[in-house]
Amino acid sequence: MSTKRKLLIALGVYVLGLVILVILTGVHGTRNTSFEPQNEFKLDTWVDLGAFSINKAVMYLVIAATLTSVSMIYIARRMQQRPNRVQTAVEVLYRLMRENITAGNMDEKMAARWFPFIGALFLFILFSNLIGYIPLPTNTEHEITVFGVTIPSFSLYAATANLSIPLVLAFVVFVSYTFEGVRVKGPIGYLKSLIPAGVHGPMAGGIFVLEIISNFMRLMSLSIRLFANILAGHLIILFMAGALAVLLGVAWLGWITLPFGIALFAFEVGLVAALQAFIFATLTAIYLGGAVAENH
Amino acid sequence: MLTALITVFAATEEIAKAGKSIGLGVGGGLGAVGAGVGIGIIFGKVIEAITRQPEMRDEITSIQWLGFALTEACFFYGLVAGLLAAFIV
Repeated sequence: MSTKRKLLIALGVYVLGLVILVILTGVHGTRNTSFEPQNEFKLDTWVDLGAFSINKAVMYLVIAATLTSVSMIYIARRMQQRPNRVQTAVEVLYRLMRENITAGNMDEKMAARWFPFIGALFLFILFSNLIGYIPLPTNTEHEITVFGVTIPSFSLYAATANLSIPLVLAFVVFVSYTFEGVRVKGPIGYLKSLIPAGVHGPMAGGIFVLEIISNFMRLMSLSIRLFANILAGHLIILFMAGALAVLLGVAWLGWITLPFGIALFAFEVGLVAALQAFIFATLTAIYLGGAVAENH
Repeated sequence: MLTALITVFAATEEIAKAGKSIGLGVGGGLGAVGAGVGIGIIFGKVIEAITRQPEMRDEITSIQWLGFALTEACFFYGLVAGLLAAFIV
C-alpha cells in the first residue's frame, strides 16, 4: 500500500470517528465541575516525616538518582573493546559532555576538575526528565481497581516539574561558581572582576549593583527555565490527551486533540527532555568559565 | 441594600475573573508571539549561516540549540506569570 493511501485511510478514520462521536454524544457538553486538573500535580504526603516527608516528587527524585548512578556504573563496569549499542550511545553522550559542554567553555585543567559535576548534573536532569514521560502508577488522587486489586492510577510526573528541585540544582550551581571564582581570584578580586574592564568612576558602582542582581537572577532563570519547560510539557500533554474533553464534557474534542497530544509527547521526549538537560549543563559550564575568566 | 451589595459583589468577582483570564491570555499569548518571532529569527539565521559556511555546521548546530532553548524559555516566563495571575494571585 502506498504512503498516500495510508494517509488517506488515516484521515478517513479520523473524520469518521469525529462524525460518529458527534452523532453519539452531541455537539454540546456540560461542564464537568468535579474534575480538577491542578490536582494531577498535587503532592500528597505518603510517609509523614515532618520536613522530610515522602511524596510523589521525592519518589521521582530517588528513582532518577538511583537509575542514573546504577545504570552508568553498570555500563562503565562492563565496557568492551568492541562497544555494543548501549555503550556507543553512552560514549556519544560522554563525548558531548566532555568536549562540547565542559571543554568548550573552560580551560583544560579546570575542565578536568569540573567535568564530573557537570556530567552528573546533565545525566541526572536527563534521566529525571525522561522518566517523567513514562506513565507510572503514582496518582493517589484517583484509584482504579484491576481484578479486585486497588492501585493508584497512572500519571506523568517528573521531579523537575516541581520548582523546588531545579531551584536546589540552580543553587548548587550558584554556590559552586561563586566558590570557584573566589578560590581563584580571592574574595575582593572576585567582586572586582564583576565590573567589566574599562568602566571607571561612579559608573562602576551602578554596574556593580546590576551585576550582583544579575547573578541572583541566574538562580531564577536557571530554575524556572527547567521547571516551566517540563511542567508546561506535562500540562499540554494532559490537556491534549483528554483532560480538555473531560473538563468540558465534550467527547469529540478529545478525538480532535488526541493526535496533537501524541505529536507533542514525541516532541517532548525527543527534543525538550534532552535539550533542557543540555542547556542546564552548558549554562553551568559557561558560568563556571565566566567566574574564573580574567575579564568578563 | 443587601441585594445591591450582592450585585456589586458579584460584579467585582466577575471583573476579577475577567482580569485573571486577561492575565493568562496576555502572559501566554504575547509570550508565545515574542518567542515565536525569536525562534524564527534563530532558525533563519542558522540556515543562512550554514549555507554560507557548510563546514561550520556542527559548531553552529550546538549554538543553535542553546539559542533556541534560551528563547523558548522566555515564553515560559510569560506563561508562568500568566498562570500565577490566573490561579494564585
